Amino acid sequence: MKLKPKVLAMILAGGRVDELNVLTAYRPKSAVPFGGFARVIDFALSNLMHSGLERVAILSQYRSFSLISHIGVGAVWDMTGRYRGVSILPPSQGSGQSSWYRGSADAIHQNLDFVQYHDPETILVLSGDHVYNMDYREILQYHRDKDADLTIACLQVPMAEASRFGVAEIDDEDGERGGRIHQYQEKPADPRFNWASLTVYCFRPSVLYEVLEANAREDDSFEFGRDILPRIMAGQYRVYGFKFHGYWGYTRTVAEYWQTNMDLLGAEPKIQLEEWGIRTNLEHRSVRDCQPLKAGPGAHIENSLVYNGCVVEGRVENSILFPGVHVKSGAEVRNSVLFYDNVVGHGAILDTVVSDVNVTFGARVRIGEPGVPQADKVTVIGWNNHVLDGTVIGSGCTLHPNLRPEQMGGEIKNNEVVR
Amino acid sequence: MIHGDNTLVLLLAGGVGSRLNILVQTRAKPAVPFAGFYRIIDFSLSNVMNSGLSQVGVLTQYKPLSLMRHLGTGEAWDFTGRTRGVKILPPRTGFQDSDWYKGTADAVRQNIDFIRSHPAKETVILSGDHIYRMDLDDMLRFHRRKQAHVTIAMMVVPLSEIHQFGAGITNTEGRIVEWEEKPRIPRTDLASMGIYVFDTEYLLRLLEEDRDEVDFGMHLIPKAIERDNVFAYPFHGYWRDVGTVQAYWEANMDLLKGDSEISPQAWGIRPNPYADRLQVDRCPARFASGCVVEGSMISAGCVIEGEVINSVLSPGVRVGKNARVRDSIILHDCVLEEGAVVDLAILDKRVRVGAGAVVGQGEDKTTPNKACPKHLYTGITMIGKEAEVPPQAVIGRNCVVTPSRKAGDFPSLLIATGETI
Repeated sequence: MKLKPKVLAMILAGGRVDELNVLTAYRPKSAVPFGGFARVIDFALSNLMHSGLERVAILSQYRSFSLISHIGVGAVWDMTGRYRGVSILPPSQGSGQSSWYRGSADAIHQNLDFVQYHDPETILVLSGDHVYNMDYREILQYHRDKDADLTIACLQVPMAEASRFGVAEIDDEDGERGGRIHQYQEKPADPRFNWASLTVYCFRPSVLYEVLEANAREDDSFEFGRDILPRIMAGQYRVYGFKFHGYWGYTRTVAEYWQTNMDLLGAEPKIQLEEWGIRTNLEHRSVRDCQPLKAGPGAHIENSLVYNGCVVEGRVENSILFPGVHVKSGAEVRNSVLFYDNVVGHGAILDTVVSDVNVTFGARVRIGEPGVPQADKVTVIGWNNHVLDGTVIGSGCTLHPNLRPEQMGGEIKNNEVVR
Repeated sequence: MIHGDNTLVLLLAGGVGSRLNILVQTRAKPAVPFAGFYRIIDFSLSNVMNSGLSQVGVLTQYKPLSLMRHLGTGEAWDFTGRTRGVKILPPRTGFQDSDWYKGTADAVRQNIDFIRSHPAKETVILSGDHIYRMDLDDMLRFHRRKQAHVTIAMMVVPLSEIHQFGAGITNTEGRIVEWEEKPRIPRTDLASMGIYVFDTEYLLRLLEEDRDEVDFGMHLIPKAIERDNVFAYPFHGYWRDVGTVQAYWEANMDLLKGDSEISPQAWGIRPNPYADRLQVDRCPARFASGCVVEGSMISAGCVIEGEVINSVLSPGVRVGKNARVRDSIILHDCVLEEGAVVDLAILDKRVRVGAGAVVGQGEDKTTPNKACPKHLYTGITMIGKEAEVPPQAVIGRNCVVTPSRKAGDFPSLLIATGETI
């Protein structure tokens, strides 16, 4: 008998980061488009679906509209039914202390009534910002096998990069599977161990309640990585690390976002959308209404992902095109990611560009510079822009959303920011 | 949209469409896939939806399973809600032990109870097997303006084709004064599209008069023209009956033209992305380094490593390295292994073409298929659902490989033009 779910999954999806820049001007990081048809949060949601975990809460407060329309009723991820469901938990007012979410831990703390109502045996806390494929049943099993209070999924990263993550020291109690965590440090300046936390936590509910309450009483910072994990490490708790060995892509900066997109391409892509079984909501932006890609007689498409609803009459190389992109004849798109409904005019050349929805590039526009594409040379363009015919834009530039056309006239030099 | 709340739509989807050969061996004609991931019936259903009509009965008879699965709850065409709905109306046993539908009018007659239970001033009757876009609401307004008993959508066709249609001669007001069903000698170029608006009361009276009158075009329409007000609603634009292999292939090729007259998306045609786990589960099409794609339509879920020219690919088709596809229609999840060649062919779902095999070989495109000379005579070769063409096999023109044939069913690796397996 396994009618009522024993695991409650909570996805932290509220945040935005300044580094991701104009792509999160109007949406949380988790709702940023990814992979030619999906959103970043689809990876966590699809992982949950394939793991049979269908009682899910999503914590969100920053510009949630895009996220809410994307989740819908959750039917896409099979999260509708008697004991299945996805609940979006925005900040709310009440009789007690209530406020905007002051951090990831505060978001859950403010919703403890929701959590306790579901009375789970295990609480699985996830981030909605990561690109990875994981069967959560494995970490949950490990968590149970170890009778742990907290189990954290970790990935070994090069020591040189460890300072950018929350890192744990894990022993070899269970070899490749995992071990006891002896130390945890959030973004240490001088890291001594390198198992980076994936923000996949299995909590024993009583322990989570206890520590959240204590943190709320005693601290004025409310982050899992910075506050809750150190607090648990300092107490008498059983904390284990589950060793993850697969691909993990993150999208914290424009450069990382671009690189993670490029990991979709190549002869053996690191991100295997099909094998991973990524599901997305085709209602969102009416993607379901698109017809198949139409390639014109002079089209050339190589090493690229292109979804339904696109029209390609020019050249597309090493790029990802979302539904509704139109690449006109004589245009070339290389090493770029074009979101929904971009139009690339006749003879325009785009190299290493990430462009948000509804951007029109006029005829003969030039962006970027030819050569080996580099993540730090991405030009990123906010939504609803019209780049006038003949405009020349360098590499590493940032164009904010909704610019007036004359702000983009003439020439924009490398690394310039237009707002 | 003034009629949206009460007009009843009856969609005739029972046709066998046997001239589509192997494509209708496992499904009814309206359920035949078209333009990648649509089915033919999506055009009629979407026209109904876009005209604001939402009470629909679908009359089925022949191999209705894939059709029923495709319709689902009708949600894809917005037919769910308090006052909206789509019902499948299969034949039922009735007065006699077996009451199969004997014709279009007979099918409607056997569902008089359904018509009565959805009281509507007008009833729209249309067929589910044409490719077109039409505003039925405008036709309904025309019908009311003319105070017609019956209105028939009609369009001008070449005189040489009129013998396939009901032909009407109209007076200056647009009233039809003479009617000939499939005339041998053309006297007019105005052809019926098989789309009728009836005053519901008038339709019921007409149906009850004589139970031996089983067909609209043959029986009821000529009678109504003789006695009452029957008007021709003029239609201009793209309209195809894709009831033959040749017409089906040509209409698919029409999609690929630069200034194509058909555009499912622009026409507001909606597929059902949830039926058969089709679209919802498909990833973007993947194009490998060194592939060639020109003048084609490619659905999500395809993986192209070879060359695709002037072809329509449904979701999930894999074209291996050095494989070549030209002038062809490839349905869902076909696999073309390395070096395979498909030229001027229609491949039904899940066909596998082995490495180095050739489908469609030779200059002689005019020697017809021996078994079905009227189906295949222009060079098109058809491969049935889930068939496997063994590696290095060479299949000629106008050939048919029936569904599920495996390597052992091939008498030799060389299948001459016009043969059937």
